[in-house]
Amino acid sequence: MISASLHTYLALSGLLFVIGFFGVLLRRNTLVVFMGLELMLVASTLALVAFSRYNGTPDGNIFVFFILTVAAAEVAVGLAIIVALFRQRHTVQVDQLNSLKH
Amino acid sequence: MDVTALQAIAANNDWMTIFPELLLGCVALALLVLEIVLPKRLHASLPGVALFGVLAILPSQVMSFWVGYIDGDSFNGLLHHSYEGQVMRVFFLLTAALVCLLGTITVARRKVAQTEFYHTVLIVTAAMMLLAQSNHFVMLFVALETVTVGFYILVSYFRGSARSLEAGLKYVIMGALSSAILLFGIVLLYGVAGNPSLPAHTTAAMNFDELAAFLSANPHHFLASVGIVLVLAGVAFKIGAFPFQIWVPDVYQGAPTPVTAFLAVGSKAAGFVVLLTLARTFAAYVWLTLPVLTVMAAATLLFGNLAALTQHNVKRLIGLSGVSHAGFLLLGVVSAATVPLGYGAVYFYLFAYLLASFAVFGVMAHVGGPDDADQELTHYAGLAKERPFLALVLAVGLGSLAGIPPLAGFMGKLFIFIATFRAGHYGLLAVAVIGVVISIYYYFGWIRAAFFADWNPAPAAPARPPVDLATRVVLGLLAAGTVALGFYQGPLGGWLSGR
Repeated sequence: MISASLHTYLALSGLLFVIGFFGVLLRRNTLVVFMGLELMLVASTLALVAFSRYNGTPDGNIFVFFILTVAAAEVAVGLAIIVALFRQRHTVQVDQLNSLKH
Repeated sequence: MDVTALQAIAANNDWMTIFPELLLGCVALALLVLEIVLPKRLHASLPGVALFGVLAILPSQVMSFWVGYIDGDSFNGLLHHSYEGQVMRVFFLLTAALVCLLGTITVARRKVAQTEFYHTVLIVTAAMMLLAQSNHFVMLFVALETVTVGFYILVSYFRGSARSLEAGLKYVIMGALSSAILLFGIVLLYGVAGNPSLPAHTTAAMNFDELAAFLSANPHHFLASVGIVLVLAGVAFKIGAFPFQIWVPDVYQGAPTPVTAFLAVGSKAAGFVVLLTLARTFAAYVWLTLPVLTVMAAATLLFGNLAALTQHNVKRLIGLSGVSHAGFLLLGVVSAATVPLGYGAVYFYLFAYLLASFAVFGVMAHVGGPDDADQELTHYAGLAKERPFLALVLAVGLGSLAGIPPLAGFMGKLFIFIATFRAGHYGLLAVAVIGVVISIYYYFGWIRAAFFADWNPAPAAPARPPVDLATRVVLGLLAAGTVALGFYQGPLGGWLSGR
C-alpha cells in the first residue's frame, strides 16, 4: 500500500488553494469564479483532514462538517443572486456588471 | 468516549449564558410564523414586533452584567464571557433596533417581501453577539459565516433593482474569498499547534487560550506566521481595510440604505471585536502582527480619505469615509498591543460611530428618493430650508464623524490619539492628523450642500415626505446622545480610565 506523507497532502491543498484564488481573480464568468471559491474551500478541507489524521486530534474532522454546511449555504444564496441578476441584466460576465459607478 | 464524559460536556453547556441570543432567534422565527398566521391587514405591525422584541431583550442583556458569568467560559470553551463581550452585545442590540427602524422607512417604500428583512436582521444580530464572545475557531468561523451569508441576502434584498443585485454579487464573491482565506489560515494554525513533534503542542488547537499558549512557546514558526497573516487578511476584508477595501464603495452604494448602515456599523464593529480577540491570541507574534497592522492602518487612513474626496454619491462617500474610520480604529488596535487604553479607545470610538452614523443614515433614508442607489450630494440642496430638523441632525452627525470638538466623535478620536501617542507610534499619529484634516473637507462639503444655496439650478431632488414623530424622537435622541457623549463619557469613561 502506498501511503502519502503529510507534506504531499499539504502541497496538493496549497496548489488547489492557489488555483482557486487565481480563478477568482482572473476569470470573467461568475459561475467559474464560484467554482474557484469552492476549490479554495475544498483545499482547506483537505488540509484540515490531513492535519487531523496526522496529529491524532478529531476536531479537525468535525470542523469539516461545519465548513461543508457553510459552503452549501453560501452557494445557495450566491446562485440565487446570480439567477436573479441574470433575469435583470441577461449576462453573468463580471466585466459587464458595472452599473455601480459614481 | 464513554457516557460520563459526554454528560460532563453537556453539563458545561450553560444555556443561560446565551439567553439574549436564544430570545433573538425565537423572535426571528416568531416573525415568520406571525406572517403566516396573521391576516394581511395586520402585517404592517410586524416590524413593530421585531423592534419591540429587540428592545425587550436589551434590558435582559444589561441585567447580565450583574448575573455574574462575566470572565467565565461556557460550552467547553467555545464562548468566553468578558466584560467587553457584554458591552458589544448591547452595541449589536442597539444597532439591530436602529436598523429595524430604518427598515420601516426604506424597505416599506418598496414592493418587496417585508417580514424576511427583519427576520434576517435579527438572525445576523444574534450571530454578531455570539461572534463577540467566541473563544474557539469553529465558533468564530460559523458565527462569522452566519453574519456574512445573512448580509449576502440583505445587500441584494431589493430584488427588482439590478444595482442591489450587482452589489450583492460583488459582496458574495469578495465575502466568500475572504472567508476562504481566513479558513486556510485557521487550518494552518490548527495543524501546526497540534503537531506532536513541537513543544507545547495541544489537542484542542482551535481554542484561543490553548493556541496562545502554543504560540508563545513557538514564537517564530514559519507555517504559524503564514496562518496568522492569512487570518488577519481574512478579517481585514470584513472591516474594509486597505488593500482589501475594493468592495466597499460599490456594495455600500447598491445595498438598501438600512443595510448600508448595518454594514457600516454592525459588520465593522464585529470585525474589530474579532480583530481585538485575535490580536490578544497572537500576542506572541507581535513582531509580525504589529508591522502588518501598522502599514495597514496608515494605508487605510490615507486611501479612505483621499478616495472619499472625489465622491458625489453620498452612499459611496459614507462608505469610503467608513474605510478611513476603520483606519482610525486600526490605530487603536495597533496601540492596544502595548497600551491598554487602546482597547477602551476602540470600544468608545465604536459607540460614538454608532450614534453619529445612524443619525446620518436616518437623514439619508428620508432624503433618498425612489431609487435607493442614486443619492447624490445635490439632492441635499435646500434641506435646511425645507426640513430644518433633518438638516440639524445631519450637521451634528457629520460633525461628529469629522471629529469637531464638543461632539462624541472628537472624544473618540482623542482617546485613540492619546493611546497612539503613549504607544509611541508618532508616524501613524501624523498620518491620522492628515486624515482628519482631509475628512473635514468632504464632510463639510456635504453640510454645505444641505445648508447653503447653490448657484447652479440643481436637478430636481426627490420629494421629501414629512418625518413621523417616532423617527423624529429617535433621530433627536441620536443627535443629543452624540452631543452628550462628547461632554460626559459616564460609565464608559470610567471604564476607559480604569483600565
